[in-house]
Amino acid sequence: MIELTDVSKSYNRGKVKAVDGLTLTVKPGEIFGFLGPNGAGKTTTIKMIVGLLRPDAGSVAVEGYDVAKEPLKAKQVTTYVPDYPAVYERLTGLEYLNFIGDVYGVPREARLDRIGRWLEIFELASVVTNPIQSYSHGMKQKIVLTAALLPAPRVMVLDEPLVGLDPRAAHQIKELFREHCDEGKTLFFSTHIMEVAEKLCDRIGIIHKGRLVACGTMEELKSIDRTEAGQSLEEIFLELTDK
Amino acid sequence: MSGLGGLNRLSRLATVVRAGLRSNFGLAILKHRLFKEKKDRWLVPVFALAGLGVLPTLYGIVLLIKGAYAILAPMGQERALLTLGVLAGQLLILLFGIYYVISAFYFSRDLEFLIPLPLRPSEVMISKFAVIMINEYLTVAAIVLPVVVTYGVMAKGGIGYWVNAVLVYLALPVIPLALVSLLVVAMMRFINVSRKKDILILVGSIVLIVLALALQIGLGRTAGPQPSAQAVTAFFTSPDSLLNRVGSKFPPSIWATKAVAAGFSSEGPANLALLLGVSLAFFAGIVVMAEKLFYRGLIGLSETTGKKRRLTRDEMSRRVSSGRRAVAAVFGREWKIMNRTPIFLLNGVLVVVIVPVIFVLLANMGSGRGGSGGGGDLSAILKTMTSANPLFAILAAALFMTVCGSLNGTSSSTFSREGAQFWISRVIPVAPREQAAAKFLHSYLVAMLGVVTATVVAAIVLHLKAVHLAAAAGLALVAGVLLTVVGMIIDLARPLLNWTNPQKAIKQNFNVLLATLADIGILTAVFFGAKALIKAKLATTVVLGVVFLALAAAAALSFGILLRFADKRYPEIES
Ligand SMILES: Nc1ncnc2c1ncn2[C@@H]1O[C@H](COP(=O)(O)OP(=O)(O)OP(=O)(O)O)[C@@H](O)[C@H]1O
Ligand SMILES: [Mg+2]
Repeated sequence: MIELTDVSKSYNRGKVKAVDGLTLTVKPGEIFGFLGPNGAGKTTTIKMIVGLLRPDAGSVAVEGYDVAKEPLKAKQVTTYVPDYPAVYERLTGLEYLNFIGDVYGVPREARLDRIGRWLEIFELASVVTNPIQSYSHGMKQKIVLTAALLPAPRVMVLDEPLVGLDPRAAHQIKELFREHCDEGKTLFFSTHIMEVAEKLCDRIGIIHKGRLVACGTMEELKSIDRTEAGQSLEEIFLELTDK
Repeated sequence: MSGLGGLNRLSRLATVVRAGLRSNFGLAILKHRLFKEKKDRWLVPVFALAGLGVLPTLYGIVLLIKGAYAILAPMGQERALLTLGVLAGQLLILLFGIYYVISAFYFSRDLEFLIPLPLRPSEVMISKFAVIMINEYLTVAAIVLPVVVTYGVMAKGGIGYWVNAVLVYLALPVIPLALVSLLVVAMMRFINVSRKKDILILVGSIVLIVLALALQIGLGRTAGPQPSAQAVTAFFTSPDSLLNRVGSKFPPSIWATKAVAAGFSSEGPANLALLLGVSLAFFAGIVVMAEKLFYRGLIGLSETTGKKRRLTRDEMSRRVSSGRRAVAAVFGREWKIMNRTPIFLLNGVLVVVIVPVIFVLLANMGSGRGGSGGGGDLSAILKTMTSANPLFAILAAALFMTVCGSLNGTSSSTFSREGAQFWISRVIPVAPREQAAAKFLHSYLVAMLGVVTATVVAAIVLHLKAVHLAAAAGLALVAGVLLTVVGMIIDLARPLLNWTNPQKAIKQNFNVLLATLADIGILTAVFFGAKALIKAKLATTVVLGVVFLALAAAAALSFGILLRFADKRYPEIES
């Protein structure tokens, strides 16, 4: 569960208003897709959810823990995948996973199980003992995803997780997302791929110039007055974010 | 046509060099921050204060040079001072040059952008060379400037002296740097063929450093039997004999001395021309070499070789850790990343081990047979100085150990080193104070390593009694806590996270400089405190006890501050 209440954030001492009075709730068991044009405020919002940025106003809570007031409890139940996979290049993939397992306190048996499984799925098993430095961009992305899955968190927050992944990996990820949420957990991700959002997400939010311009299930989005029946998500998106 | 082409090429070279300098020193950014945004204004008084803290040390050095001048001048040997200054400077250039050259030529990330540009290898290399030169000017200023300025004032040098001094100073790094570049580029050319590059680069640098030191010792020791009294008299009565002897192994230092000391008259211009000419020739030499070898050592350097191999179930089970405490995990991460990044390793663990060893070699230099030359038996001087009063010996040894252990960039770059990966530390469910504690353990371990090596060195060079040695080490260990924490606090106040070249995080990090100045300030304060206690005629044990307790109290207090500061700062650092 993620709750954003009237959250605002600006950069450069108020000159750039990146997020403006955003209120949003993502319920347990839900896959929430976050759409918006470049510079709309998606990354800013995501960074506030995971505590990397402090909102100027409003509050963020994860699983009922206020991110500002009980940061450790909130962090314990959340994992995050950034838009760019900046990870410790000098560690091996396995060392990085061990580090994440240690700091989140993942028990050994669960760790062995999950690491074995994700590495297999992502086809990383043969390179885990090599330094991350030697990985391709997509492989780095996959190791960050594996690390985010490792603690089996209640909440996962991902910034454009499908960018740079090959079709097979992208397909696997989507299956994993579904599985994650079927266990009653929450997943929040941003994307530019309309098709993925349409097929995968339980609910979709569209942000434009820092404001939430639409939010709801596909059906709800389609029934917004201005739009005609039978429109695709792409058409809705283009209409709502025009100007 | 060719004239125009040459002009074009020259202006292109100027652009590359300017871009290199700008990205490395970022003066424009600093200026902007100080005067336009008025952001870091508080730095100005901090620097002024830190500068004041260094003054006593500088004053001591100047007094030492003056003393030496007064002794040497009546014998007509005073020019040897200049030679020594120049030689020491060039040795420093050689040693630091190895770091600088390897990191600038091979480990700066901007190479990835420069190489695809339509530039000649030599142009890229010259731009890097310029950056290193500036670094070297700053590095050797501490040694060469006091000597040249004090000498000039004492000898009442005319305009010729000062003009030539500036020219010589500018030319000083060229020859040693060119030598180092030649060696390094040639070394890389071969290392690049091999698989274990990082290790080889380290081994190679150590070999180069040892070579430089061997050269140094070779300069210090002049072979031959114990000189007779007559020979000594003859030696000292012929002017400049000392100069020629000191500089004999490295003629450029003699040319530099004569050029500066004679100014515009007599042998001055000729020697200046000789120095500049040879420097230019060396410079041309590396340009030619760059065209031939530079890129070949470079291409494929960032490639790491790892065999693709699946782990068996058993191996996997062994390698998956069974749940360390968070502090241990963070400590392990710090340790691995520091030691696997060559630039970090060079400035951390290697420095604390190498510096004390260099000191042994320096102290032994000129002792024994060759020692009669300049009375340069440093080891003997130290022994007489310290045997007078054990308290003095203990404090001096403790100072030495502290400097060896703590005056490196490990603690003052501990947050900066995380760079673009800092987000990981921000999202993991580990309290900032715990992360800071783990980082402290790591930095302090490096400091302890330095103290241990320095203790061994002190035992060899100073021949202290075991009790005294232990007392000194005890002092150094508590002082180490304080200095480590101070370095960490300084870095945490404004960590430099947006680097792409690891060199920036440690070697060119403002915080490291700031912390060094703060450390010198603290040590100076401790020095004056101890001096006051000694003046009060207190017993040795009392003085030591008071210093120890004061340091321990300051260390405990600052550690508490660090933990709180971490809790406050982590959420503020937006990454
Ligand atoms: N560090 C920063 N400093 C100043 N302004 C910033 C910073 N980061 C983002 N912004 C501004 O905030 C606004 C929102 O940016 P944000 O990164 O949240 O967009 P986004 O929706 O993630 O875009 P994209 O689809 O391109 O990833 C933009 O106008 C951007 O210019
Ligand atoms: Mg974004």
